[in-house]
Amino acid sequence: MSKERLSGLSRRSFLKVATGVAAAGAGITIPGGARAAGDKRLATLIDLSLCDGCPDREVPACVSVCKEINRDKIPRIAEPIPVPWPRKKVEDWSKKREVFDRLTPYNFIYVHRAEVEEGGRKKTVFVPRRCMHCDHPACATICPFSANHKYENGAVVIDQELCFGGAKCKAVCPWEIPQRQSGVGIYLHILPNLAGNGVMYKCDLCQERLTAGKLPGCIEACPRQAMLIGPRKQIYALAEERAKAMQGYIYGKKENGGTATLYVSPVSFAALNGTMKRQPGRPDMKAEERRMAETDKMGKAVLQAPLYGIAAGVAGAFLSLSRRKDRRKGGATDHE
Amino acid sequence: MSERILAEKNLVVRHSLIEIIEHWAIALSGLVLLVTGLFELPLANRYYITSLPGLGWSGDFIKSLYIHYAASVVFITAAVFHLLYHGIRGERGMLPKRGDIRASILVIKSFFGKGEEPPFEKYLPEQRLAYAGMAFIIAMLILSGLVKTYKNLYAPDMPLTLVLWATWIHNIFFVLFILALIAHIGALVLKPNRPMFRGIFTGTVSLAYARHRHPLWLAELESGCEGGRKEGSPAAYGAAEAGDTGAATTTHEDAQETFAAGDVIRDGTKEKNGA
Repeated sequence: MSKERLSGLSRRSFLKVATGVAAAGAGITIPGGARAAGDKRLATLIDLSLCDGCPDREVPACVSVCKEINRDKIPRIAEPIPVPWPRKKVEDWSKKREVFDRLTPYNFIYVHRAEVEEGGRKKTVFVPRRCMHCDHPACATICPFSANHKYENGAVVIDQELCFGGAKCKAVCPWEIPQRQSGVGIYLHILPNLAGNGVMYKCDLCQERLTAGKLPGCIEACPRQAMLIGPRKQIYALAEERAKAMQGYIYGKKENGGTATLYVSPVSFAALNGTMKRQPGRPDMKAEERRMAETDKMGKAVLQAPLYGIAAGVAGAFLSLSRRKDRRKGGATDHE
Repeated sequence: MSERILAEKNLVVRHSLIEIIEHWAIALSGLVLLVTGLFELPLANRYYITSLPGLGWSGDFIKSLYIHYAASVVFITAAVFHLLYHGIRGERGMLPKRGDIRASILVIKSFFGKGEEPPFEKYLPEQRLAYAGMAFIIAMLILSGLVKTYKNLYAPDMPLTLVLWATWIHNIFFVLFILALIAHIGALVLKPNRPMFRGIFTGTVSLAYARHRHPLWLAELESGCEGGRKEGSPAAYGAAEAGDTGAATTTHEDAQETFAAGDVIRDGTKEKNGA
């Protein structure tokens, strides 16, 4: 991403942040100069006190615009779709493209309706769900082909030209966000029945639009400005302020080791999670730990291993050389 | 230096304890890396490997990664130790020499009954070439693996170009590593190589075998040179070239009169039985 474009983006997204603040009526303004120069990392904020699920529309605005933007993203599906071996699981959403109430390869965002009761009051909360764009996304870091990558701006993006659809990213995602479409992708040209099974799809934070200096579709389309994007530090600060103002809660700050998506809610996420039944394409909102953290210590030992080798090699060699020298001095036969 | 002739036992010490430990540290951790590396591909669940007894963990990418990391600690430490320990000691007998490619072709031909093997030093010319190949593969795996590990720990957003290079080097050299490993073990299928097999476990090979096949090495040991090993020194390179040009063929032929390949193997068996 060019610097020019990035600064353009920052300006626009900042404006969006500021407008969002005004719309929230929280009376917070961030002076333009406060934007951290050179901070390319972005974050998004989803304010659940603002999202109303678009009651006047059949499909929420964020969902329909996302569908529209990505309508032609998936190429034509092979017919018939090769049946993988030995597990014969084919996942084909190409004939159910219209589904909008869960994540599918054709639907990267959906809105969950939560009926909660907190403090004796009933409340309806709408929760837009999509990829969280984690700070340490296992889906990207351990993709065997690096088909999934976290960019400097924080967006985690799957390259559909490189993805084999093995669904490893889905397996390591605490929310199982990526969704598979079989019958498409590079695997068709290699061993379609034996390796791979399609391409994984998910929200890419509208990386192309970001690069072009535009806002992600869902954020631009939200009539309530419930979603914002901006420099990470500011979005984080804003989330804190809003949560404080509404005596509410934040989700996404610590979950899975931190993410670039912060939900702010007047209702606790434990309560919201209680309304969510984890199902395929419908993530819940548990306080997820980052499982990869279990490997961090050993990973550090790997990075130190060359030093262990250097220390042992140098010490061993000089020890043996000095012993050889000693033996020569002592006139011993050199047989050890 | 441990290389020496044990005349009373009819054995020659070929590898020191340190070398045996290095070899097996790299071999065993390499094997674990190979398997857990495979399990980083989404195949364990698909191919029901997870249903095999004791392999339930194979479908858990994070557990596999942990084991992969643990094995890399051993692998990298051993590989770096190997380079420095032998590098500082000036042991370069395994490095390829001029003429090794040509000599290797002759040797491979001789395996199939075409022509005679030239007399060898401690290592066969194709062993030296294989060593260089394997060392290069291992070096690339380690370097790309370190970049990938660094990315996992500290920089998930490192430039995509670097990530792609590291990933694909790791993947391609992983395939080459498997092929090289198959070739390495496959070399033992060839009868003339089998007497060397015991060397990597016990450190010794039979004197008869060494005399028959590695006369240049034995000559060095018998000349009583310091440390019993001069490979890599200018003199040793000279000897190698002499061998390559056939100057030492007489020794080889003489040896052949007394030791046919079959005898050598029988000798080896006898020794094993005796032990």
